Amino acid sequence: MADEARKKEIYEKLRTGVIQYDEDACREGAQEAVSEGLDANEAIFDGLVSGMEEVGRLFEAQEYFVPEILMCADALYAGLDILKPHCKQMDLGVKGSVVIGTVEGDVHDIGKNLVKMMFDVAGFTVYDLGRDVPLDKFVDEQLKTDSELVCLSAMMTTSMVGMPKVIEKIKAKNPNCMIMIGGAPTSKELADKWGADGYAEDASNALKEAIKMVAFLKKLRDEKIQKK
Amino acid sequence: MDADPLKQFLQAEGATLVGVGDVRRALSQEIMHLGRGIAIAVNRGLTRDTVDLLMRLQALTEGWLRAKGYRSLSIPPDSDRRMGKMISKLYKLFCHKTAATCAGLGWIGKNGLLINERYGSKMTWATVLTDAPLATDRPYVSSRCGDCDLCVRHCPSGAVQGHLWSLGDPMREIVSYDKCRSLKSGRTSLREKPNCGFCVTVCPYSRNGGEQQKAG
Repeated sequence: MADEARKKEIYEKLRTGVIQYDEDACREGAQEAVSEGLDANEAIFDGLVSGMEEVGRLFEAQEYFVPEILMCADALYAGLDILKPHCKQMDLGVKGSVVIGTVEGDVHDIGKNLVKMMFDVAGFTVYDLGRDVPLDKFVDEQLKTDSELVCLSAMMTTSMVGMPKVIEKIKAKNPNCMIMIGGAPTSKELADKWGADGYAEDASNALKEAIKMVAFLKKLRDEKIQKK
Repeated sequence: MDADPLKQFLQAEGATLVGVGDVRRALSQEIMHLGRGIAIAVNRGLTRDTVDLLMRLQALTEGWLRAKGYRSLSIPPDSDRRMGKMISKLYKLFCHKTAATCAGLGWIGKNGLLINERYGSKMTWATVLTDAPLATDRPYVSSRCGDCDLCVRHCPSGAVQGHLWSLGDPMREIVSYDKCRSLKSGRTSLREKPNCGFCVTVCPYSRNGGEQQKAG
């Protein structure tokens, strides 16, 4: 087992790897974490996710733009792909599976992919339906997988209008299912009106919301560890 | 900001042509801030080695820009074949020919390909977009094909129609890609080489141009 200083060093490597969108550094850091027997979940949260939080901040400060965010996300995945198989299932009381996709008529999926990434790091099982997804597919997939969360994304007003239909159908069959909507034309008002449980208006906002969610999960995990 | 040091640097590292263009008119929302396109070309066919060389040149360009505090986004030479990454979503937002024409390195020929006055269409291109305010080269705004219609007459699928390109008329279809593609797919199913390449080989600029380096 690596000592505390070495552990810090590896997490820092993962963190800066994400921030500086250096895929090789992330891969290397993840490899080291695995070979030195570090906890993979911890490496993800204290390394990769911590880096992504900083990326979110840099984006808000307009130091990073969309290309940088995507390159950072690729770097995060480079590390995550290595760490994931070594993760223990997080026992947080949620089963954690989510259906996500861009609704029919819409092929914009950058925001959706960023949100998907944060679910991936949080250890959710993600059923990604892709883009331009027929409305009923969301309903069917939710029933089939019994996911507790469905995320709908749309960039265009023309495709957004399909959202309330999906929400209505899912809520009718499964009132406990949480539904999040996202994309430029959505708003808090629309989310409320349609009965959605959450909303994010763009990729950065979605990223922020998703980071918040993951940070919350992390807090739960830390509290659990402390109780032990 | 003087672009000559960058150009000389890249040419010393193996680039055949380097130019800088003002590409702001061609940018979509996500990359709006990257107003300069650095077009880099090597006079080699699109092989693995060529791609590696161009990507190395792009990485050098990125490093050069980053050291001066600027952002950049590289569009790899074979961007249409790169999928599965988050960043590859952005590649299709920008096309190498736009950077090359804006950077004054050629025009779009009747064959729909970028034609450089010296090397014709036998080039492989890569682009680095950046927000560095580099001095720009004089862009091409219209075709220099003139009356030449060799590629029109030699195209076996009738895809090349003889339209002249101009920057002011961006919506015009210069080559009927459906016709070109159907010929290619027909050939593939007959197990022949899918690409015919007549429109490149008959072009006087490609023929007279500098002898292409053998890749590898």
